[in-house]
Amino acid sequence: MLADFQQALADLTASPELCQAVRDDERALVGYELGERERQRLLGIARHPGMAAACTVYRMNRLAPLAMNVRATLHALGGAMRPQVHAYWRAHPRGHAHFFIEADRFCGWLKERVAAGDDMPREARQALAHDHAVVQAALAASMTQGGPMPA
Amino acid sequence: MNRPRVGLLYNPTTPELLAYAPALVEHLSVMPDRLWFDFGHSAPAGERFHPVHQAVQLVAAHAGGRSLAGHGLGLSLPSAMPLDEAMVEAVAGMSAATGGFSWYGEHLNLFITPKGGVPNAQAGLGLPVIYDDEAFAIVAAKLRRLREALGCRLLLENGSFFTPVPDLDMTEPEFFNRLHREGLCGTLLDLHNLLVNARNGGIDPVRYLEALDLDTVEEVHLAGGDDQEGFYMDSHSTLTPEYVWDLAADWLPRCPNLRAITFEYQESYFEDLGLPALGRELERMHRLADACVQIEESVHAG
Repeated sequence: MLADFQQALADLTASPELCQAVRDDERALVGYELGERERQRLLGIARHPGMAAACTVYRMNRLAPLAMNVRATLHALGGAMRPQVHAYWRAHPRGHAHFFIEADRFCGWLKERVAAGDDMPREARQALAHDHAVVQAALAASMTQGGPMPA
Repeated sequence: MNRPRVGLLYNPTTPELLAYAPALVEHLSVMPDRLWFDFGHSAPAGERFHPVHQAVQLVAAHAGGRSLAGHGLGLSLPSAMPLDEAMVEAVAGMSAATGGFSWYGEHLNLFITPKGGVPNAQAGLGLPVIYDDEAFAIVAAKLRRLREALGCRLLLENGSFFTPVPDLDMTEPEFFNRLHREGLCGTLLDLHNLLVNARNGGIDPVRYLEALDLDTVEEVHLAGGDDQEGFYMDSHSTLTPEYVWDLAADWLPRCPNLRAITFEYQESYFEDLGLPALGRELERMHRLADACVQIEESVHAG
């Protein structure tokens, strides 16, 4: 069915791991209700060299609200930035259209990780506290309809 | 053919460009999605969309004496799910607040996924569409509803993609031609997206344009992109490439219903592009618009 085809296409774009799993074994699509033609189309897409670019653009777009609003925190995380962001995306596989909500959710999630014992450099914790306060103020301003133009 | 207007896709740097070259911009396209905050389907009724009033007022002021079109992303018409009626209502409200859209364009791409676990799950980028009767019926029904709600002409834009869908029943031009033939919408032809798709191994732009009924084309987008990791991106980061100018010079004079030629740039590249270069880009667009009329006049005279 078309809805499952569209969801599978979006899931493939969001996950290079799923693309590879489908390339290795087409049974990785078993969770979707697909006609044979839809299944063949998805296999063709997963095997297309452009899928790497689609996955890259997906990640760039998903990263945009964080890069714009919690830049100092991401910078201070250094080498830990990539695994932390990927863990966040696994915990929250769908982004939010409102960039301040997405950034606020990331900051809250990261604070929970620190509270749960994740090791984080002191300067990253300071940057997180500052970025989160700025994001929360911007989010509150957007609720009063006076915030900046959304990205 | 009337002379097409020369315009810009509005972004936060546009007022500065309008102040620099006010007479060169005859048309503005504005994205309603960028003039509000969308708190999502979980927001209380009536509180989902929060317009940014200052930005809305600025657009309305700059639209004075110019034509204005809406250009949306969020409705994701090809998605196999119901039309987002709250967003339709918000688009209609934005049209009213900015002085009224002469026309409204959406993308013929999939941006929202139907089974994503949350109602407005973002696909992350514009995904390609299956061109068949089922998709046509979905898009057609939503276009009818949208036209009823907005009360203006509708256009759909050809998208950029990295992964073409194999084994389609219809080509994209055939899909556009059918939409037009059935009176549902016109085409917003993004010439740069044709280049993007060609560079990434998708289509031949000339064959695409040969297959498209040029009567359908009512607005054209120009833009520039850049190379990343072996692929060409629709990043709106540069001026229009020469290949796109050549396509425009060859094909736009053959589009009798063309109303506007619109340049898109991403605001984060505004400083790099610079006002003088953007001014020259607009001047070149005016020469293109003049040529559209002159060529047609010479054809009629001959």
